[in-house]
Amino acid sequence: MSIPFIAVPLILASIMPLIGKISKRFLPDLLTNTAFLFLLLYSVFAGRQTLLNGADVWKAWWFGEALNITLVLDGFSALMLLTISLIGLSVALYSINYMEHYEAKANFYALLLIMIAGMNGLVLSNDVFTLYLFLEVAAIASYGLIAFGLQRDQLEASLKYLLLSSVATAFILLSIAIVFGLTGSLQLDKIAEGISASNGLPVAGFCMALFIMGFGLKAAIVPFHAWLPDAHSSAPAPISAMLSGVLIKVSGIYALTRVCFTIFGMQGGLGQVLMLLGIVSILIGAIQALGQNDIKRMLAFSSISQIGYIILGLGVGTPLGILGAMFHLFNHAIAKGLLFLNSGALEQATGTRELDRMGGLARKMPITAGTSVVGSLAIAGVPPLNGFWSKLLILLALVEAKYYGLALIAALAGILTLWYYLIIQRRAFFGKLNETWNHITEAPFWMSFSVLLLATACVLIGLLFPAVILDWIKPAADTFAAGISQTIGLLGF
Amino acid sequence: MTSEALLLPILLPAILGVIVLLIPSRWKGIAGVITFLGTAILVVWAWLLFTSGEILLSLPWVEGVITFDLRSYPLGSFILLWVAIFGFLISLYSLVKLRTHPRLREYYGYYLFTLAVAAGSVLADNFLVFLFFWEGLMVTLYGLVSLGSVNAPRTATKAFLISAFCDFCLILGISMLWAINGTPKMSGITIAPDGLAAVSFLLMVIGAAGKAGAMPFHTWIPDAAIDAPVSVMAFLPASLEKLLGIFLLARICLEFFALKANSTLSIILMTLGAVTIVLAVLMALIQKDFKKLLSFHAISQVGYMILGIGTGTLIGIAGGLFHMLNHAIYKSGLFLGAGSIENRTGTTELKKLGGLAKEMPVTAIGFAVCALAISGVWPLNGFVSKEMIFHGSLETGYVIFAVAAWVGAIFTFASFLKAGHAIFLGPRSKDVPRVKESQAGILIPILALAAFCILFGVASALPLNTFIQPVLQGHIPAGEALDLSSHPLDVFNPVALISIGMLAVGFGLHLFGWNRAQKQAHLASETIHHLPVLGTLYDWSEARRLDLYEQGIIALNGFSNFVFKTIDRPIDFFFEKILVAVGSAFVRFFRSLHNGYFPNYLSWCLAGLVIILLLLRVF
Repeated sequence: MSIPFIAVPLILASIMPLIGKISKRFLPDLLTNTAFLFLLLYSVFAGRQTLLNGADVWKAWWFGEALNITLVLDGFSALMLLTISLIGLSVALYSINYMEHYEAKANFYALLLIMIAGMNGLVLSNDVFTLYLFLEVAAIASYGLIAFGLQRDQLEASLKYLLLSSVATAFILLSIAIVFGLTGSLQLDKIAEGISASNGLPVAGFCMALFIMGFGLKAAIVPFHAWLPDAHSSAPAPISAMLSGVLIKVSGIYALTRVCFTIFGMQGGLGQVLMLLGIVSILIGAIQALGQNDIKRMLAFSSISQIGYIILGLGVGTPLGILGAMFHLFNHAIAKGLLFLNSGALEQATGTRELDRMGGLARKMPITAGTSVVGSLAIAGVPPLNGFWSKLLILLALVEAKYYGLALIAALAGILTLWYYLIIQRRAFFGKLNETWNHITEAPFWMSFSVLLLATACVLIGLLFPAVILDWIKPAADTFAAGISQTIGLLGF
Repeated sequence: MTSEALLLPILLPAILGVIVLLIPSRWKGIAGVITFLGTAILVVWAWLLFTSGEILLSLPWVEGVITFDLRSYPLGSFILLWVAIFGFLISLYSLVKLRTHPRLREYYGYYLFTLAVAAGSVLADNFLVFLFFWEGLMVTLYGLVSLGSVNAPRTATKAFLISAFCDFCLILGISMLWAINGTPKMSGITIAPDGLAAVSFLLMVIGAAGKAGAMPFHTWIPDAAIDAPVSVMAFLPASLEKLLGIFLLARICLEFFALKANSTLSIILMTLGAVTIVLAVLMALIQKDFKKLLSFHAISQVGYMILGIGTGTLIGIAGGLFHMLNHAIYKSGLFLGAGSIENRTGTTELKKLGGLAKEMPVTAIGFAVCALAISGVWPLNGFVSKEMIFHGSLETGYVIFAVAAWVGAIFTFASFLKAGHAIFLGPRSKDVPRVKESQAGILIPILALAAFCILFGVASALPLNTFIQPVLQGHIPAGEALDLSSHPLDVFNPVALISIGMLAVGFGLHLFGWNRAQKQAHLASETIHHLPVLGTLYDWSEARRLDLYEQGIIALNGFSNFVFKTIDRPIDFFFEKILVAVGSAFVRFFRSLHNGYFPNYLSWCLAGLVIILLLLRVF
């Protein structure tokens, strides 16, 4: 059941350059969007199936020989697949218009599909090596996508990301090797058994630190975040949306939590370290975002800050905290995707990303302005939009677990968030129209359509949050909280 | 009648009100007809209810927690009947007078809603239901007053805020009463007003007196007299609000609390009444605009009613209730008369009018009857009810209150002599061109009300037996007979003779003033206006220095200014200056760290790894 998630984008990616020779625009647009629509519907279907029938396990085979690779589709994976497909579809729709002025649209789609395949595979994999493999697949595609415009700063950002990322993956690989040496297995559940049997070897703590650092770098947690503002602001807007909305969450947070929580459980100070990293990320991300004049850099720093909230919620470790973190992950993906797409529309219309050169654009670009207000308020956590509920859950979890100080800081940082989003609104969309922009018009149809899609999602999820939580977020959080035991039970070990 | 019949007086006007608001603007003329017919049905229905004795209705409301209780009993259905009658007469009047009003549908919509909520608050038998309708009155009052001239919205706000304050006190009082009794049912409660109950009593009295327009909650009425449509004045401050306010006061004193004659609370009420009588009539005396003069009388007369009910004696309470009815009759008659004059001459300023009796004889007759009735001239209805109040106050032994009431009578008569003289008699003024008598639709209500004045005066036993006696039936101390003829209400007895003497003094006062003012009637009160102490008081009052609302607004402005300067500005300084400075310092610091050097970033990662390692050991 889970194999189409990897196979469909991968196969399409492999023939996309050939299709690009036949048709420059129409066929690549059509096929990619059809594929994404299929993935979205299929992930909804798969999610419902998981909800009804429990996790789906697929064992890889090669001519009748079982390979030691399994793909597990459980509640957590289902949520991530939905997130990836939803943002993926919006990005693909958006790219129909946005990527017009880049050459080689087919190649762009090919890279995007490879990234999607990598992320889907990562989310479905149940052993550390497959996970590592798909992590690198997604990462390599993303290096290419960041540098897609071939400008100097894009190449520099891509290179910086590549270098820091390879440090991270080196540490991850090192840790995998040590874990393999300790337990003789690569399956997450078997490693977990081995680690708990070894009963607190110092080297297990070392592995944990390596994993936190490696995946933390992928997730851009402070102090491993320095690559993100360059990378996310240099990439083409749809890719920024993909990276900030989904990639850092899949290859960072998902991988971190899947690996660390399954292998080590909530022990040995993992929770406290995550909370510390979370709160530092929240604050430094927010403060840095305040000082930016480049809209995409501001959004990038905001991502660091919001990732901090998710990590903070996970670090609390209570069911409520995990629920809040999962929900915030989902909401942030949608809202941040939306905002990056908006920033792309602004950049395309005005040719600049500098906030102080914009102003009064709401009159010229009402859809972009309106959806951007929705996205900003959603991330800042203004009721009744989706971000409010997830932040509320995280804060409630903190209070419930008696971390009053952290709750206070997180709440105050919410004000900072509102502050810099209002700065965007005021400087870009409201106030007096800058005379230079008298001629500009609203973004083309598909760009507007995709931001409207995401803005609607923000509002609807906010209004229908109980249903969303019950059908999607709670199964994910449950899978996650059940941790090792559930996986073991399912696989029949 | 079945108990569902109680719903009609509430639902019919409410539904008609919605219909009227929804009429397309081409046919808005029929709004008045709908209202007229609706109120006619209401009068008949209210009469049927009045004659059917006690009816109860209880429907589940708010999830069974609160029941929607209605009760029709003599006091309630008596008020309801007269609410309907005034609604009917004034809607007939409005048909003509407001035909060209630009916001006609709103007028009739609010008008009908007012009738609906008034009926609801009269019939309610549960404090929550009662408050629901009572607060509705506040809203429709705002709507109706705001339909007037340019300044009307400001006056409407004033009326709304004053009502809101009084209603707030009422709610507080009701909550206390509820806490004491443990039930929100209205019927069947009677407690002695002491301790917390006394506080509750006083708070509820503020609510009732405020609705009736007693001092010091009166100040919006003179403003509204100038700004609001005249039919609204006749409808609300002159009749409906008096009926409802005094209805509530009567219920408070007779039903919820057993008010004893000569108790402290009774004296407080009587004082409130006496002060209102004298101060308001003094203000009325010097007014130069007929509508404004009437509005001050509407306040002054409330004093008589409160005084009467406050005596706690049977005759006093009966007098207070009867006076309420009489006042509503002649005061709406007078306001409608003022409207008739305004309708033809375009003004109600006394200075510009004069000698209209020949051109508007019917209006003049209506005015004369109503004015004599309000002054308490035998044998009109005002005479009878005032006599009863005099008797009641004398019975308490505090002669001072009777004296205050008599003083009020002097100035009432003097001021109406001035008004009548200035409008209808004397030389024909040059300021207004020749006019015709008003249309029948305007005159019929005036004449009907004047006829009531005569009927209820000459045959005072009729209204007393029909309306007042059933109301008091249940409240006679055991062993006493209910006999309203126990006190002489004719003209040949000491009390009545004193009253008539007072009228003579009033007449003399007017003649004196008129002579001093070189026979200019509208200046007849100037002698009193410029008396040493009174003159100063008048000046203060003209400058609104005695208006609690205006002073309160000034004080509030001062307070908010103070808060703005001492609290808001510093907070603003903190956010705009200090916080921004601190924020940008942080931003500069972190920015300097992000210098784009790859080795730098790499070293952070490694440092982070080391710190995590250390932390994992430490925890």
